[in-house]
Amino acid sequence: MQRAGHQMITAAVPGVPGKLAGESRWAVETHGLTKRFGAKAAVNGVELLVPRGSAFGYLGPNGAGKTTLIRVLLGLTHADAGTMSLLGYPVPRHRDAALARVGAIVDEPRFHPHLTGRQNLRLLAAAREPAARDRIGPALERVGLAHRSDDRVSAYSMGMRQRLGVAACLLADPELLLLDEPMNGLDPAGMAEMRELILSMVADGRTVVLSSHLLDEIERTCDAVAIVDHGTIIRQGPIAELLAGAQLALQVECSEPGRARALLAGTTIGASVKVVPSALGLDMTLPAGADRDVVAEINRVLVDGGISIYRLQPVQTSLESWFLQVTTRLGDPH
Amino acid sequence: MTTTPAAMIATRIMELRKRRGLMITLIVLDIGFPAVFYLIRLIGHAFAPLANPPAGSGQIFTIFAAGFLPTFGFIAAVTVGCTAGSRDLSEGMFRHLVVTGRSRLALYLARIPAGLAIVASLVAIGYAIICAVSVFAAPTFIDYNNVNIPPGLSRAEFGNWARDRAEPVVCSLPYSGQVPANLPCPLPLSKSAVTPAQAAPAKLEALAVKIANQDYPGYTALFLSPPDSLMIEAGLWIELEAVVAFTVGLGLASLMGQRTVPLVLLIVFQLIVTPILSAVDIPHLQDLQRSVVGLAVARLEPSGLPMAAALPGVTGGVGRGAGPSLLPESATVAVCVIIAWLASWTILGAWRMMTRDA
Repeated sequence: MQRAGHQMITAAVPGVPGKLAGESRWAVETHGLTKRFGAKAAVNGVELLVPRGSAFGYLGPNGAGKTTLIRVLLGLTHADAGTMSLLGYPVPRHRDAALARVGAIVDEPRFHPHLTGRQNLRLLAAAREPAARDRIGPALERVGLAHRSDDRVSAYSMGMRQRLGVAACLLADPELLLLDEPMNGLDPAGMAEMRELILSMVADGRTVVLSSHLLDEIERTCDAVAIVDHGTIIRQGPIAELLAGAQLALQVECSEPGRARALLAGTTIGASVKVVPSALGLDMTLPAGADRDVVAEINRVLVDGGISIYRLQPVQTSLESWFLQVTTRLGDPH
Repeated sequence: MTTTPAAMIATRIMELRKRRGLMITLIVLDIGFPAVFYLIRLIGHAFAPLANPPAGSGQIFTIFAAGFLPTFGFIAAVTVGCTAGSRDLSEGMFRHLVVTGRSRLALYLARIPAGLAIVASLVAIGYAIICAVSVFAAPTFIDYNNVNIPPGLSRAEFGNWARDRAEPVVCSLPYSGQVPANLPCPLPLSKSAVTPAQAAPAKLEALAVKIANQDYPGYTALFLSPPDSLMIEAGLWIELEAVVAFTVGLGLASLMGQRTVPLVLLIVFQLIVTPILSAVDIPHLQDLQRSVVGLAVARLEPSGLPMAAALPGVTGGVGRGAGPSLLPESATVAVCVIIAWLASWTILGAWRMMTRDA
């Protein structure tokens, strides 16, 4: 699987589609992108750089502006300010050329219910290049819908419609896929299949931008991530790098937790480590960048103070806990 | 490289054709009514030819060609237009189509030939049934107010024929003058009473000749079976009305983003408001009245459809009474009005589709 590194550099905005577009290293590039609904900015000065060939997560709580950004990128609604490009093509000026190689699912995938899945794809293929018609069969095979392709969409489950949405994306033979909450409505098996499908598309060299509130799915699927809140990107970069900069948690199971807490408070460690008593001992939050020497120092202070240490366990920061650290609306249900 | 417009049009036709409810409605309106009506008449005539006249007649052709088919064709066409203009949006397909990168204008324009292909073909089938029965099951006598009249009589021959059948002529044929109050007219007048020649007083014969002389222009407009030229002109006129209805429906539904409201608005406008506007003379708003597309289309109605004026409330009869219209309008102005409506609604619908959030 291709895993592109994420570098926060600014690519030159391509000026001549077809010549420089293919040379752009960014599949998606936005600068100061803004979309307002009345006084509320759903997308607020977004600076986004998505490297080609990567699986990129666009993560945010409910109402953060994820879907609106995708809608703006696709030309489904207009931007109020800023510049953007898809696959190196400035949009909206060269939107048609850009979208010819873009597949997208926005919100819940809906189709003409009186038509079969295959007929819906024929309708969409007719609006694309002639070769798109030849891709209908393979696309249905790839998403596992070939055996139900001649059933009416009205008889499809939510998961089947999601798959049909992905099949519709594949008609473009896309270099870039923008998938908005593709796991919505899927059962665990369906989510696993969708994840595999996304990863296989990344393995093909395509760029996948996955907008989701499912932190676990983003962490399992994506190389890099942008965290959006109140329409603004507050962090972006490779997941590993972002988590490396996150605070480290430490669980300490010990005797006399109260005295242990007091002992730590009397040292230089106490100034930088947040200590909270727990049922079995102490839960500590170390500052970002703390190395294992800090853990050893804590252990030494406690042992020298006569505290018995039964267990001392660093807890790896998950994307979820990091997400909760950096966003303002913790646990906002989607 | 994108596909040819033909591929898009073909799939748009498929999308409309697969709507069962819509297609059943269209077939019933455009084909079902005339087919069932004529079938009943054909069967009735086949089993009891004396009691049931032949299925075809100029009068029935006129009623269908100037009244029912334009009216039902209008409803069918505007239904297809409103469906084509709104369903992509309401069923969530518009977004998928926009994401293909194909221009929104092209997406809109593809709907026009697709919808017209369905509308025009169904109207043509319905009209072909009417023409076929009118030609191949035509009567041998003209039925004029329940009086059987031989076709092709000169004015003198018509007068002689009327004199020989003075009583039914006086009792049945239209006459604007005074008629003696003591006439022995049976009510209702039966065919058996009028077909054979009957002796009558000279005064009654003179009145019959006078009536025949007055009705001769109306008689000459009647026919056993419609002439080819009239069938072609009427067919084109009905198709024109369907094209206008579809195009306006498509534009308005695209503009409003829904089907039901524009559909109701257009039907009410055409079947209620337009006849009212054709019947009243508003001195300072005559130009506005002339700009109503229903009146403009009615202005272009073939002159050989004489019964249209006698069909109140139907499209074909609007604005063209037995006498001069309240709103005289030249054919050129009518054509300009129709073109303006077609262009305006196409532009409005396309503009909304190009600017609408998907």
